[in-house]
Amino acid sequence: MKATHVKKPFRLTKKAFGVPYMLFLLLFVIIPLVLILVNAFLDSGNNLTFDNFKAFFSSKSSLIVLANSLLVGVITTLLCLIIGYPVAYILSKMSSGKIIVLLYIIPMGVNFLIRTLATKAIFIAMGVELGMGTVIFGMVYNYLPFMIMPLHTTLSSIDKSYMEAAQDLGADKATVFVKTTLPLSVSGIISGITMVFIPTISTYAISQLLSNGKIFLFGDSIQLSFEQGMYGVGSIMSIVMLIFVLLSNFIMNKFNRQGNAARRSLW
Amino acid sequence: MKKTATLLVIIAVLALTLLPVLSACDKADVSGGGTDRLVVYNWEDYIDTDMCDDFEAYYKEVTGRSLSITYTTFDTNETMLTKVLKGDANVDLICPSEYAIEKLLRAGCILNHGDVLKDIAQQAQSLGLTFDGMSSLGNGDGNVEPAIMDVIRSMFGAGELKDDSGNVLKDASGKALDMTEYMVPYFWGTLGILYNTSVITPDELDEYGWGVLWNVQQNQKLENKILMKDSVRDSYAAAVFYMYEYGLLPEGYEDYTVQSLINCTDNAMLEAAKKVLTEQRDHISGYEVDFGKDDMINEIVYADLAWSGDAMYAIEEGGYDEENGYQLDYYVPSVASNIWYDGWVIPTTVNNKLAAMMFIDYMCDPMNGIRNSMEVGYTSAVAKDILSSDGDVCDYIVECYSYDEDGNPILFDDDGNQTDYDVNEFFGDNRRYPTINATLGVMRDFGAQNDALVQMWQQAKSGSGVPSSLWWCLLAIALAIGAAIGIYFLVQALKRRPRKTGANTSK
Repeated sequence: MKATHVKKPFRLTKKAFGVPYMLFLLLFVIIPLVLILVNAFLDSGNNLTFDNFKAFFSSKSSLIVLANSLLVGVITTLLCLIIGYPVAYILSKMSSGKIIVLLYIIPMGVNFLIRTLATKAIFIAMGVELGMGTVIFGMVYNYLPFMIMPLHTTLSSIDKSYMEAAQDLGADKATVFVKTTLPLSVSGIISGITMVFIPTISTYAISQLLSNGKIFLFGDSIQLSFEQGMYGVGSIMSIVMLIFVLLSNFIMNKFNRQGNAARRSLW
Repeated sequence: MKKTATLLVIIAVLALTLLPVLSACDKADVSGGGTDRLVVYNWEDYIDTDMCDDFEAYYKEVTGRSLSITYTTFDTNETMLTKVLKGDANVDLICPSEYAIEKLLRAGCILNHGDVLKDIAQQAQSLGLTFDGMSSLGNGDGNVEPAIMDVIRSMFGAGELKDDSGNVLKDASGKALDMTEYMVPYFWGTLGILYNTSVITPDELDEYGWGVLWNVQQNQKLENKILMKDSVRDSYAAAVFYMYEYGLLPEGYEDYTVQSLINCTDNAMLEAAKKVLTEQRDHISGYEVDFGKDDMINEIVYADLAWSGDAMYAIEEGGYDEENGYQLDYYVPSVASNIWYDGWVIPTTVNNKLAAMMFIDYMCDPMNGIRNSMEVGYTSAVAKDILSSDGDVCDYIVECYSYDEDGNPILFDDDGNQTDYDVNEFFGDNRRYPTINATLGVMRDFGAQNDALVQMWQQAKSGSGVPSSLWWCLLAIALAIGAAIGIYFLVQALKRRPRKTGANTSK
């Protein structure tokens, strides 16, 4: 058996096609992660240390920055959901909805830095003071398409007969929405939230530009650390961020599965 | 058959993507063989752009060999330091600030110009090069401003550079390290306040000094219209000057000189600086590194912590009308400020020592010094006396200020007649040529304390707590969602009730 296995000539199988991807993953995902992990335990003189952890977790300000980022992320996500859901819902009902969705998506083709700088110029021209309000506006503006897209896809793929059946059984419009449309679109909501929340907690350019650097988020903090050559603390912060990203992914997945289960049993 | 075809396609795609990369390598090799190369690593917008071409022509004239200059730039000292200290920068010349030079010197990354000259002595002699303009070769200050050289000598001269335990740092031959042998100053200047003349009066500045950046005078128009530098060292310096001026220094530091204060990074000082910088957040518009000039010119903000050269540039770009004079002006509080300089150093990675030395010498030429200075706005390190006594230099300054690029006159006197610019005004301008005295301190490298400083800066920037507006925002959203759910259930309940009563009445 073994001998024949070794002798097997090279064939272009699925495995062979996978090699470039594996190499890519190794080079640009695994190795950077290992480097971050290693850096987190080194001080400026390349000695093993836990001081970076201590420096991060014992400092009130770094935790404030983290809390700020998480709050901004939550608020942005909620606002995106509140604005995005009705939009996606209305658009899924319209026959020309696909084209209008395209109009929402097209601005994403413009680089977000340019869009953000343009937003800043508009705010300045309008005399709006730059601060938390403008930052949240910029975040919502930048990430709204990421919410609308999955929601629109899910909502327009719901079979209309569900709604018709509910109406036939005597449900009014609000009940139809709450008891059929909403539960059936949970997977879209979940993926929308994931696609908005995860990038918002790590964002830095938007907050820096739209508040003149006055709003200092976790991403800004990481950037400053690396810029100043404090690789240790920067790495710790990156790891903390990664943990939050994994955590939110995990929770979302759990939610999604529960939602699916609930959909079958409860509604 | 199909599989071989796919394989061929994959190989073709790979070859196509790799080809440009490979050919790029080839090209570099070819040009390296034919002509001499010089890689310059300088600040962004920090040279007269024609200077590189002119130097190539000069090099060809002197040596008979053609030269190709690769001009690369950095935007902060830290970017440059990271690259050079990690050995990633394969360059022949760098132009860092004083503290970055100190750091490079301590790390042994830069060469003594005297040693470099020894290596190229034969070539230099046969070409008749003497490098008279340079200040680093031990025969006087060359063309460089003696006052600046004195500042460097007092701060980084022989015996002044010490290690952590207080021992004087020495080079390989046992001689005490002297920064003046490793660098030639290029530009120098001060740190001050760029302000809008229609919002801030000179009296206000004289009275409140650095406090203007904290809006101590409670000028309504200035509130939230101040920009600070998004740079640890400059903001720290400003905070220290402010504390010095207003007596907010921690106990025991009151008697320090300006020089020792801005180089003091004791925890007590950092705490105090953090406090004033955090307080400042309530009065400023934000932090900038590159858009401050534009925001000042466009009157989006009215005061900005600025370097002298940026300020001079902004003043000239900003508006001017006969009634109110210049829209912007620059003020260095007389109580204390920072004097800085950038200089040319030759890193150990140098490949073309001759061209590097010639380039530095070329930059010390009075005419080239003034050309760079007129282009970028900063004060050239070429001595003021040499510049002002050079006829060509004076003519050039007059030409720049009196005529535009096409030779049309742009300067007119009160009666509308065309006049020539007065050169004495240029050299007498104390914004450009301030008196160097004890109120101007040089900042050195903070060494291991730099991390503590950066942490202080992060803390100051992150503020004292989560802004209440965020909590209110979250609360408002939660309430809105709660209200929507509430309304839904209310409507449902209301709908149910009439049905019941309807059933009752029909009974």
